[in-house]
Amino acid sequence: MTTSTAQRRSYSDAEPFPVGYNSTILEQFVNWIEPWKDAQILDAGPVCQENILFFARRMSRHYACDMFIRLQRALGKQAGTGSFCRHLDYPPRSFDGIQLWDMVDHLDDEQAGQLVARCFEMLRSTGLLMLIALEKEPEPAMINTFVIGRNYRVDFRLQQHLQLPWYCRHNRALISLLAEFDFVKSFRYRSGLREFLFQKPGLIRD
Amino acid sequence: MLGKPKKPEEESPFTVGKKEEVKPAPPPPPPRPTPTPSEEKTIIGERISIEGQIKGGEHLVIEGEMKGNVEMEKHNFTVGSSGRVDGEIRAQNVSISGQLKGSINALGKVEVTKEADFFGEIKAKSISVEDGAYFKGSIELDREPHRKSNFAAAPKAPASPTAGKAAFSPSSDTKKES
Repeated sequence: MTTSTAQRRSYSDAEPFPVGYNSTILEQFVNWIEPWKDAQILDAGPVCQENILFFARRMSRHYACDMFIRLQRALGKQAGTGSFCRHLDYPPRSFDGIQLWDMVDHLDDEQAGQLVARCFEMLRSTGLLMLIALEKEPEPAMINTFVIGRNYRVDFRLQQHLQLPWYCRHNRALISLLAEFDFVKSFRYRSGLREFLFQKPGLIRD
Repeated sequence: MLGKPKKPEEESPFTVGKKEEVKPAPPPPPPRPTPTPSEEKTIIGERISIEGQIKGGEHLVIEGEMKGNVEMEKHNFTVGSSGRVDGEIRAQNVSISGQLKGSINALGKVEVTKEADFFGEIKAKSISVEDGAYFKGSIELDREPHRKSNFAAAPKAPASPTAGKAAFSPSSDTKKES
């Protein structure tokens, strides 16, 4: 398994990038959703065996739609990305949680707005949206999967097949982008990695 | 020990006739390399296109195009790297390296390789997915026993904005990575 540790060995000149951490936001995300018998989660991150097992063992049904690879294919087309969100064709109010990982870091404002709006539709009331954002583009600007391990430990695995642009944003821009949601919690790690948890407003779960 | 004559008290009650020196049994002949039924497989080649239902008593590999349902609960189903399948699959183990659109119900394991393009639903005992696979689907595995849900479909947990905020008080923190 290629973790960030291995990646750092390969790129010794790289500026510090988290070697892995224990994700408090992920733990809250899971603990909130897991108790429901019919809980459904959508993982929009790169396909990852560990994450699929992690969620599928905990939720009634786990959905995975790799939006990273879809974005890459869309960017490769001359016609432009169009609305790459068309792949997220799930019915409204389908999910209790959506895990975007660092997807927003690879979308311009228009694409990010489309994605957030689509997530809002797909979430049930009180459903949670988790995302990760870096403060600045890492060096080298490689795409990693966030791999969930034991006790909500998150490590990184290089995705050599993915090459996507970076659009890192400040907190204010991110929170503004997700203005329709209630802000729940965020953590900033010393490496500059930030985790955010948002909730779709509502009185009760749909 | 082999080669030693049996003692009388160890004789089988069905032994009759005079005692004979028991010779060591000759080693069993090596197993023949003939395939057992479970090892046999059918391959649908790249230039074959089939439509309809398949019920199988041996493993099946699709390298061509197939539209229809497959039922082979005791055998494995494979979509090869050039295979394209559209249908419902019920098999022991399922491996996808080509394109599969539909549902999979595997009694054992589902394997999705990095060359695969999968769209549909998977219900299985276990699953393995390689990084790089083009994947869009739902996965239903056996849930961990200790992770039985506490809540029924109707939420008992606090779900009002007020209650939600009691559970999640908005906050920002800086945390040192461990």
